Amino acid sequence: MHISDGVLPTTIALGTGVVSLAIATWSAKRSPAEDLPKVAVISAAFFVASLVHIPLGPTSIHLLLPGIVGALLGPAAFLAILLGLVLQSLLFQFGGLTALGANALMMGLPALACGLLFQTLRGQSRKRQAITGAFCGGLGVLGSALILAILLALSGEDFLGVAKLALLAHLPVVVIEAIAAGFIVSFLVRVKPELLEAPFTLRKEQILPDTKPKR
Amino acid sequence: MHQLARNLHLQQDEPALYKLCGLSYSYPNGQTALKDIDLDIAPGDRIAIIGQNGAGKSTLLKHLNGLLPVQQGSLTYKGQALVEDHLRQARLEIGLLFQDPDDQLFCNTLQEDVLFGPLNQGLEITAAIAATETALTAVGLVGAAQRAPHKLSYGQRKRAGLAGLLAMSPDILLLDEPTANLDPHQEEVLLQLLKDFTGTLICITHNLLFAYEICERAVVLDQGHIHHDYTFKELVSHKASLREHGLDFTFRFAAAPMPEDLETEDQTPPTIKTHPDGHVAPGSSQLIQLQNYGFTYPDGTEALVGLDLYISRGETLAIVGENGAGKTTLVSCLIGLRCGSGEYQLGDKQVTDANRRDNCRQIGMVFQDSSDQLFCPSCYEEVAFGPRQLGLPKETIKKRVAEALDQVGLAGFDERVPLHLSGGERKRLALAAVLAMQPQVLILDEPTAGLDPAGEELLLGILKSLDVTLILISHDLFFIRRLTRRTLVLHEGHLVQDYSTEAFFADTNLTSLNQLDFTYRNRCSLEIMRLQHEHEHSHRHHHSHEHPHRHGDLVHSHPHEHEHEHVHIYNHTHHTEPDKASQESANSVQEPTHGHLPRADSPHDHEHPNHEDETHDHKH
Amino acid sequence: MTEHQTIHFAAYWLPLLGCGVILCSWLAMRSLRRMITARQTTADEQIPTIDAGAAGTSLIHRWDPRFKIIALLGFAFCAVSLHSPRSVLVALLLTIITVSIARIPWHRPLRRLLAMNGFLVMFLIVMPLTVPTRISDTLIIFGDWQLMAFNLRGLELALVIIGKAWCVALLMEPLLATAPLGATLEGLTRLGLPGKISETLLIAHRYLFVFLGEVQRMRSGMEARAFRPGRRWDTLRDLGNFVGMLLVRSFERTHRVYAAMQARGYNGSLPHHHQFRGATSDWLQTMVWLGLGLGLVLADRLHTGGF
Repeated sequence: MHISDGVLPTTIALGTGVVSLAIATWSAKRSPAEDLPKVAVISAAFFVASLVHIPLGPTSIHLLLPGIVGALLGPAAFLAILLGLVLQSLLFQFGGLTALGANALMMGLPALACGLLFQTLRGQSRKRQAITGAFCGGLGVLGSALILAILLALSGEDFLGVAKLALLAHLPVVVIEAIAAGFIVSFLVRVKPELLEAPFTLRKEQILPDTKPKR
Repeated sequence: MHQLARNLHLQQDEPALYKLCGLSYSYPNGQTALKDIDLDIAPGDRIAIIGQNGAGKSTLLKHLNGLLPVQQGSLTYKGQALVEDHLRQARLEIGLLFQDPDDQLFCNTLQEDVLFGPLNQGLEITAAIAATETALTAVGLVGAAQRAPHKLSYGQRKRAGLAGLLAMSPDILLLDEPTANLDPHQEEVLLQLLKDFTGTLICITHNLLFAYEICERAVVLDQGHIHHDYTFKELVSHKASLREHGLDFTFRFAAAPMPEDLETEDQTPPTIKTHPDGHVAPGSSQLIQLQNYGFTYPDGTEALVGLDLYISRGETLAIVGENGAGKTTLVSCLIGLRCGSGEYQLGDKQVTDANRRDNCRQIGMVFQDSSDQLFCPSCYEEVAFGPRQLGLPKETIKKRVAEALDQVGLAGFDERVPLHLSGGERKRLALAAVLAMQPQVLILDEPTAGLDPAGEELLLGILKSLDVTLILISHDLFFIRRLTRRTLVLHEGHLVQDYSTEAFFADTNLTSLNQLDFTYRNRCSLEIMRLQHEHEHSHRHHHSHEHPHRHGDLVHSHPHEHEHEHVHIYNHTHHTEPDKASQESANSVQEPTHGHLPRADSPHDHEHPNHEDETHDHKH
Repeated sequence: MTEHQTIHFAAYWLPLLGCGVILCSWLAMRSLRRMITARQTTADEQIPTIDAGAAGTSLIHRWDPRFKIIALLGFAFCAVSLHSPRSVLVALLLTIITVSIARIPWHRPLRRLLAMNGFLVMFLIVMPLTVPTRISDTLIIFGDWQLMAFNLRGLELALVIIGKAWCVALLMEPLLATAPLGATLEGLTRLGLPGKISETLLIAHRYLFVFLGEVQRMRSGMEARAFRPGRRWDTLRDLGNFVGMLLVRSFERTHRVYAAMQARGYNGSLPHHHQFRGATSDWLQTMVWLGLGLGLVLADRLHTGGF
């Protein structure tokens, strides 16, 4: 869920904007310059992954994946998420231009936190990593929902009701995201564990084997 | 008869462009990619790097552009190692064309992308734009300069990638599988562009016919070693070494018209009746019936128009046509991914928009790119995916997976990760995944794309052993000939021909119609066949003959035994008329030549009759 | 809490009104959506082209991107600061005029408005029911349903939010579609946005389309093997594999793309090649827009009393 234009008071919109630009700059600085094109490409992949709608029961789900972004990208996750949000706003008008900062904080902070958490807790076995992944995936969405609620609540007492409702509406999403994140991590552990080894930007020296398309 | 590496000696006064000495490379995961590579490349060389998948070709290419650091040994370009400033400068002189054009086109419009190189070279903006225009004109895309890469076709993107390199006026072009996934017409366009390029050219390819046209020298890699360094003519005329490296593409030459091998090779079930003219009365035995079938994309593009098509059980047919002719649209309608207008009956079911998604129970399809079909963490799960979706009981699934894996020669691969398999194995895994659903109809979209000749031969064997109705979309004449008995020609959404495969091969009107230009391939293959029949080789000979000579004033002669190495030119021809063949055999005295009728076991080796006794000159 | 005004309706009005509103909005949305899809030029336009109208020659097109960004972005921030419905209406009118000056086909901004409706409709329903009641508020109460008190101030608040959101959404088109994306982003960089961020954005935008194509092909690959999403509970596992595979493929692609950039002499930044003029007319236009925006905010605050 994104905040659209016009909901937040200008002070909060501008304030969050400045804060997220600062974090994004930090995030870009933490990644070696030559890794930025790679962050760009992988951001596009996450963006597309979040576009995939899968009907499930009476509704259709699409994944937000903040936990996975954090686990795979480390500090660069915030930049990747900001990029994704800018693109969503430019292309689809999901989330407003003036609320960009707020949206970035809402998605990016939980991603950073969950990424760190995943790297600390993940352990070695496939099962444990999958469970940790699921936990972080769910937690990421829960964190986003909380920040959303807080931002709304800060906007005035008129928005308290909306804030509570938004938080409530996210609960089923948390469950679905957690399960999906578990499966994604389990897949990655099996197929390309080096992606989970250390956040993206730290694997600067490593050159992976020939990755030409296998056609 | 197998020759070991023989370096082509460079002329001493010409400095080498590249000098590789004992170059070795292994990836962080321990996999050794290159071992002890010694190679000299002179300015103006046109080299094809060939070898099986996984032989280290791409790794070598990446070294030549400094994309991989030298681990062991040395590599110099113009006399200096590729590091720092020299590397930066070198990269502006060396163009590298990637296999997948999407890797290369990273800007949002074509013009921006082509501008990238010249601007990095430090050109002024006006000069850079001029260079861009020239390059885009050369590849025929000048009108598309402002378009986004994703709005272009695959062939156009490939050429756009090349334009990005040509705009930098490179001294050297490195090409990684330049012809992968191109149709014959686009391949020829690319071929012309590369022929016009005058600098040094180094090209990785499985497409030896293409390489034959543009390269003069062949470097064969085998498990990280340089195994041969030949002239290209030597390589193609030397069948034994081709075969050893899994490169024996000569089995494909059967594509040249040799009608009589059909009877001996086809073991198709007797129930199948071929319909030479393709016109079959609609009847109950038809598996697929399309009547007045059409498909129009939402933007108004008519992809298929008024198609009438009947396919009976057990038939094998090929669909050919230029890119964009509607082949893929047709098969995606058949398997139910899309729904067109008109009548479509599959078996006894009328296919409608509501039930089209059930078609995949009867029709399976192997996609051109296996990556689009393989997404599971293990081979077992991959193959089980289809049956699981069908809701089959667990035991049945298990049985079917084992059967399917066995059928494609991947038994025991259950726990392997599909992503880590080789290209050929992945293709076969995709086939197994489809076979596990036990389809009545099997559709193959360009099954040979990206496979090395050894992989192709293996796939061909598997496909021939299957008992299904087969629909093959391909530009590959050889596969069409080997696998199908009926050919459909599509052109701009219309079914323009529906006849037997023999008739298709005899059809000479196709070129002008839809740019299905197979002629250059035929030309190449004929030329290579001639080369293989007139080959040069050298080996030790043991001779014993009279040796007249003089000692002082005394002239005498005695039998003299010696061994030495010398070169043979050896000719033989295939004639269809028996008279001429025997006549030539009789004439073969001075220059050993023989001729015979085309044989079914083509390619074949020949005896070398009497060559011990041949007269020849040599030094004493 | 006791002095607010109440309007009473009989209980049966609630379902009747509810159904009426839902039906009307559904019909409106359907017809809008049809209109938009009818205008779409290509079949697979799942992701619209941002700078589709970049080739135009209108006043907005000729505006230097740097000035355009400052003016329109500034105006957008002014617009979201408004409080009274009347000033929001004026702002909306101004943006509509801008869109028509830029001669952008209407289906494009409409598509943007439509994309937001989920969020906004929620506001429209939730706000009147949840805002705390104030002294001057008017409540609509159906029968004895005190819980479902419909606060008209909440409705007004929701409508103001929708108006402001539409304003900014409409401005997006003149802001983005009237110059090539590269030029807009280069303009942003000249204005002080870190170059890394705009570069990364450009590359990410390019690869969206590549990955979207990959996703579509992979999905056909799954559907060709009888995959029906949502039919079985293990859909989530298949989805996990699918997303995992997409990520693996794209990680592999990152290395190839970076290699391709290096191979053509990438030295840490994309070359700049757009030219900016910054003529007097650019200054003038910018002044007009910022003046209008600030004037609106001023009038709004005077009208609503205090800042």
